[in-house]
Amino acid sequence: MTRVLIIDDEAPIRLLCRVNLEAEGMEVLEAGDGYVGLEQARQDRPDLVLLDVMMPGLDGWAVAASLLADPRTATIPIIFLTARAEFRDRARGLDIGGVDYVTKPFNPLELAALVRSLLNRSDSRGRDDRRGEKLSALRASLGA
Amino acid sequence: MSAENQAVFLNAVPLLVLAVLYLVATGTLAPSFWRERRRMGEVESALALIFPCCGLAAAAGGVLLLRDPKPLGNTWVALAAIVVAALPAVQFLSRGGDRTLLLTGSRRAREAEQQTTALTRRREAMNAFTDTLVRTDETERVARLVLSEVQGLVGVEFAALALVEEGEARGLMALLGADEVEWWRNLRLELDREASAIGAAVSEGVPVTVHDVASSPYVKREVAEALGVRSGVWLPVSTGEAVIAVLVAASTGAPRTFDNDDLELLREIAAETALALERTRSAAALAEALARERLVAELSRRLRALDHDAALQLVVEEVGTALGASRCLLRLGEGETATTGAEWTAPGVEPAGAHALRLPTPILAARERKTVEIPDVAAAAERLGDGGFLTQLGVRAVLATPIIVAGELFGVLVVHRPETGNWRGTAVRLVEGVARELGLVLGTARLLQENERRLEQQAALLAAGEAVTSELRLETVLQRLVDEVVRLLDADAADCWILDEGRGVLRCRAVSGVPASEVGRETVPEGTIAEALALGRPVLKRDFGRSERPPPSASYAGFEEVVEGPITSGGRPLGILGVCSRTAGRFGPTDLDLLHAFAHLASLALHNAELFEERSRQARIQRGFYRVASVLGRPISRPATLDAVAEAANEALGGSFAAVLMPLGTTLELAGSEALPEPLAEALRRGVPTGDGALRLVTGERSVIASPAVDRDDRFDPEWRELARELGYRSLLAIPVEAAREERFAGAVLVFFSETRLFTDDDLEVAGHLVGAARAALERSGAYEEERRARSLAQQLARTGGLLASELDPAAVLDEVVRQAPRLVGVDAAAVRVLDGDELVVTVTEGAAAERMLGSRSPVSTRLSGDVVQSRGRIAVEDAEGDERLLAADPLLGLGFRAYLGVPLAGAQGAMRGVLSVYSTRPKRWRAEEVEALEALAGNASAALANAELYQRVALEKERSVAILANIADGIVAVDREGRVVLWNAAAEQITGVPAEAAVGRTPTEALGRALGPESDTPAGNRLVAVPRGGEEVWLSLTEAVMRDPAGAVAGRIYAFRDISADRQVEQMKTDFVSSVSQELRRPLTSIYGFAETLLRRDVLFGEEERRTFLRYIASESERLTRIVDALLNAARLDAGDLQISLAPIDVGSLVSEVVSGFETAAANGHRFAVEVGSAPVARADGEKLRQVLVNLIENAVKFSPAGGTVTVAARRDGETVEVSVADEGLGIPQAEQARIFRKFTRGDVGRGGPAGGSGLGLFIVEGLVTAMGGRVWVASTEGAGSSFTLALPAAEAVSSPAGEWVEAE
Repeated sequence: MTRVLIIDDEAPIRLLCRVNLEAEGMEVLEAGDGYVGLEQARQDRPDLVLLDVMMPGLDGWAVAASLLADPRTATIPIIFLTARAEFRDRARGLDIGGVDYVTKPFNPLELAALVRSLLNRSDSRGRDDRRGEKLSALRASLGA
Repeated sequence: MSAENQAVFLNAVPLLVLAVLYLVATGTLAPSFWRERRRMGEVESALALIFPCCGLAAAAGGVLLLRDPKPLGNTWVALAAIVVAALPAVQFLSRGGDRTLLLTGSRRAREAEQQTTALTRRREAMNAFTDTLVRTDETERVARLVLSEVQGLVGVEFAALALVEEGEARGLMALLGADEVEWWRNLRLELDREASAIGAAVSEGVPVTVHDVASSPYVKREVAEALGVRSGVWLPVSTGEAVIAVLVAASTGAPRTFDNDDLELLREIAAETALALERTRSAAALAEALARERLVAELSRRLRALDHDAALQLVVEEVGTALGASRCLLRLGEGETATTGAEWTAPGVEPAGAHALRLPTPILAARERKTVEIPDVAAAAERLGDGGFLTQLGVRAVLATPIIVAGELFGVLVVHRPETGNWRGTAVRLVEGVARELGLVLGTARLLQENERRLEQQAALLAAGEAVTSELRLETVLQRLVDEVVRLLDADAADCWILDEGRGVLRCRAVSGVPASEVGRETVPEGTIAEALALGRPVLKRDFGRSERPPPSASYAGFEEVVEGPITSGGRPLGILGVCSRTAGRFGPTDLDLLHAFAHLASLALHNAELFEERSRQARIQRGFYRVASVLGRPISRPATLDAVAEAANEALGGSFAAVLMPLGTTLELAGSEALPEPLAEALRRGVPTGDGALRLVTGERSVIASPAVDRDDRFDPEWRELARELGYRSLLAIPVEAAREERFAGAVLVFFSETRLFTDDDLEVAGHLVGAARAALERSGAYEEERRARSLAQQLARTGGLLASELDPAAVLDEVVRQAPRLVGVDAAAVRVLDGDELVVTVTEGAAAERMLGSRSPVSTRLSGDVVQSRGRIAVEDAEGDERLLAADPLLGLGFRAYLGVPLAGAQGAMRGVLSVYSTRPKRWRAEEVEALEALAGNASAALANAELYQRVALEKERSVAILANIADGIVAVDREGRVVLWNAAAEQITGVPAEAAVGRTPTEALGRALGPESDTPAGNRLVAVPRGGEEVWLSLTEAVMRDPAGAVAGRIYAFRDISADRQVEQMKTDFVSSVSQELRRPLTSIYGFAETLLRRDVLFGEEERRTFLRYIASESERLTRIVDALLNAARLDAGDLQISLAPIDVGSLVSEVVSGFETAAANGHRFAVEVGSAPVARADGEKLRQVLVNLIENAVKFSPAGGTVTVAARRDGETVEVSVADEGLGIPQAEQARIFRKFTRGDVGRGGPAGGSGLGLFIVEGLVTAMGGRVWVASTEGAGSSFTLALPAAEAVSSPAGEWVEAE
């Protein structure tokens, strides 16, 4: 069963994701902040992480960087949840591989499909460090 | 043969033959044998006998054998024996003549051997003798040795030695046997005189042998008999050159001959003796010479130590005793003046006494200048002349040596001997040596004496000379001359007369020892004086007082001796130096010489003195000329020039003081002076009328006046004469000096002399030179002054021009002008009149008197200034005195000003502006350059005025522009054609942060760090340019305009820009806001939409609870959405000031509780809420707004403490305010941001872990609302520890109202 970790500070969103993903037959883990999320990611090795960008404490980017840095979690694909509209435009051209994003509000049904597609894509081995770089570049271009 | 025959023939016959041989041999030997029988020794006898014996034996044998012929053994052997035995005889006979040899040979051999032995012995003896001889020093011992040797070696009884010296033989020693022959020593032989063996030996040079003395003519009979000699040999003992001795070896007893051996031996001995004798003789001679020398040296030493007479005495004594003479005397001097220096006589001999001088020998010696030896007075009679005299004195032999030193005869040393005889060479040498020494001593003594005397003289002369020549003043020199000469010559008086060549008289100039009244007396050269002058050498006049012609004056009558010494220079007589003595015989030739020498000195001194006088005078004149020349060389002011002229005249002429008078109008005024005494100066200053007699001649007719005695000179005014007497000047020289310009009268230089002065041509020449020089100097001075004035004017003008040019205030210009004008031309006052319509107004003045005229007006038509205006030219008045019209025209003139100069002041475009006029209290001749200067000044002033006015206008414009520019909100930057900033207004400063000072003059790029534009020729409209300001980027909206000059080229650019960074920021913020708001809106939307969609899912069935949950979320999120929108609205309203506040007393406490409880129910992250409400705090507020505020704050508190913690809400009343605080334990707010948090769109730090969400309006609204309610809100926060927001509202009266209700105030 696909295990997905949702890291978001807002409970409703977490519930939203859980419900919809569980309806698709996935196992959902949730974390209310970055630290907890990281811990869970390391411990429970989800197949995918849904990561809210705007969080108090450790924000999405930091979480992503940590995930990438840790070999245990480096290979886990990440989907960013963000309210920022421009994100889509900006990041479109990038093929980071293993990273995707969803802008809020999103159709929860589509979320599951996205999860699956990303998982497929990320099956291929050899995700390299370019991912990390691209991540950083992306972060930079968004202007933290 | 038969044995018998054999025996016979072989033995007997040979035997007989043998016998015959031997007998023959014997026979030949016999005569010799007989002859030599006595002298033969045994051996010879035995040998001689052998032959006969052998012969006889052989004969006997033969005979026997014949008788009885029996063979003797072996016959042949016997024969052989016989033959052998015959050999000696055969040998002997074959030798023939030498038979004697056999006999005598051995004897001779023996004898020879003996002789050899004897010779050897002799040789040895000789050697021994020679050795001994060599070691023997004394002649005596030599003699003894030799003689004894001779005796021994030659075998004579008598041996004698006689020394031969100078043709005389003197017995040295004689030995007869072992005894000495005493009388031999006294033997004296004149070898020339008498014949003697000795003499013969000497003359022949070879030994003389006398076999029989008795019969010899040579040997003295007496001697021979006395000695008893019979034969003898006389050997000359010579050294190779001369025979020095004769050795006599004689035998007593029977005559004998001396053979060669003896002679040889004797010769040897003689040779040795010669050597020895020579040696001893030389030793003796040396010793003698030494002794002599020592004696002489001793003598000379003692001579030097002793005084003169004692020395002489010593000499004669020593010499006499040394020579064993009877008398020794020293004759000093020559000819008539000879004296006996000293005389010594042996005891018992009478001194020669007075006769000594008549002794012929010394005279002879002196005449012949060499030693005279008289061995026999009697014999030398013809040489001596009068020999009998000497004989009377008992003198038989005389030795006289002249004492000659350096060719000069001092005297003669004479030695007398009572017996005749040659003077021994040594004696002569001794005497000569002594004479030499004596001569030296005497000579030296005399030299010394002379030197001393000469030195004395020289010293005296030198001292005198020094004394005389150290002075240069004539009078002193002359006095010194006479004083010194008195001292030098030890005279009683001296005088000095100087020749006045022109008049040919001698004038007495100095005396010593004679009454001073003699000084000044004049006389013609006569008498001794004339003689001396004629001779050119000092002349001594003895018995002066009585015998001098013409008779001398009374003062001189008492002198016995007078020496007149002429003082000449180059053959020319200068004067006479006379020396007088009261004692006769005082002066000698040396004194004359001394005086002569002194006269030379005197002439030198005189010459020097004269030269000095002359030179002093020359120097004075030169100095004067030089002074004048230096005055010429240096252009100086007129007063200084005139002073210099006075000084020059004074120095050149050697005056006491001098004054220069210059014409001024009709009087002469004192223009220069040198050492002028005050009373005179005073008198001169009062002004000397030129009509005055003497001076008129000088100044009017330009002639030089020389007055040796002013007080008696009636050319001069009585006043002058009076002054002369008072002030003590006797002579006066007045010289005309031309004033620089052509004047009727010249000036005069007056040189005053305190002593009577006869003016010579030289003086007048100097005066003439002075006149010319003074004129030149004055001209030069005049030119200098002119130039100086002109330069000064120019400088002043330049300065003024500079001042004026820089002055921009018209009033100041005029002030400056009127101040400078008087200074420029050297007057006292000035005024500027400005044209006002048709009147001239005195606008500015300078000078106390002129001030009163300020503001006064006068019509343009008036004289003077009006004339200036109308004629547009200058007007000058030199002296307005007495001119009523002028005085009326210009009141200033009436105020005491006499001279006026006015020039026009031009205005713009050539219009007349006014008049500049200057005034002088004294009449003034306006010089051209002064007038021009003033006009130039006026010109400058006009220009300056125009400038000033222009400037004023410009300044005004500029100020306006500046004000405009300063107030424009846009930044204005103007650059010139080089792109440098020339304008940078205040707004530009503010916008760019660059102050104007930093920007002006540089390009915008330099100032801003960024170009303002592409600087193209056709700029586009607005541009956006970012410039850095303090680390930030400031965005400007920039417009550019190009300024062109008339030619069309770019003359500059103007940039206008606006800071739109704020706008941009605002835009940015708005954009941010919009995006963040949209983000915020999206969050609840996500939930709403999401849950809605979820609920709509057909594929999943949700349970009731789930559905409710979903719907609840939709509701709450919708609510959240609403709130956000509300907040936006509120903010907008706040912005627009559109808020509606209704204030009422609100129970804050209950409101707080209510709000908090609302949060608690919706609690999320484990936040705890604490409420602290004080005693019923009631505030006057808008309840709804307050609620919003509280909600906002608490929301923030929760949001910003994601880790949880306690949110404390407190409300309390504090006096007139009610404070409500919301505190969290969250992230806190950094200090830097605490100021910003109340601003719009400022959210908590996004990206640093701060909470997302929130519009950034929360706190803005909070502050806005609280402020609108009349309260205040602030924050206290520590980063990482939490924040506490506090709001204070005005307290209100407690109104009991149920919690939750709020009352709307009226």
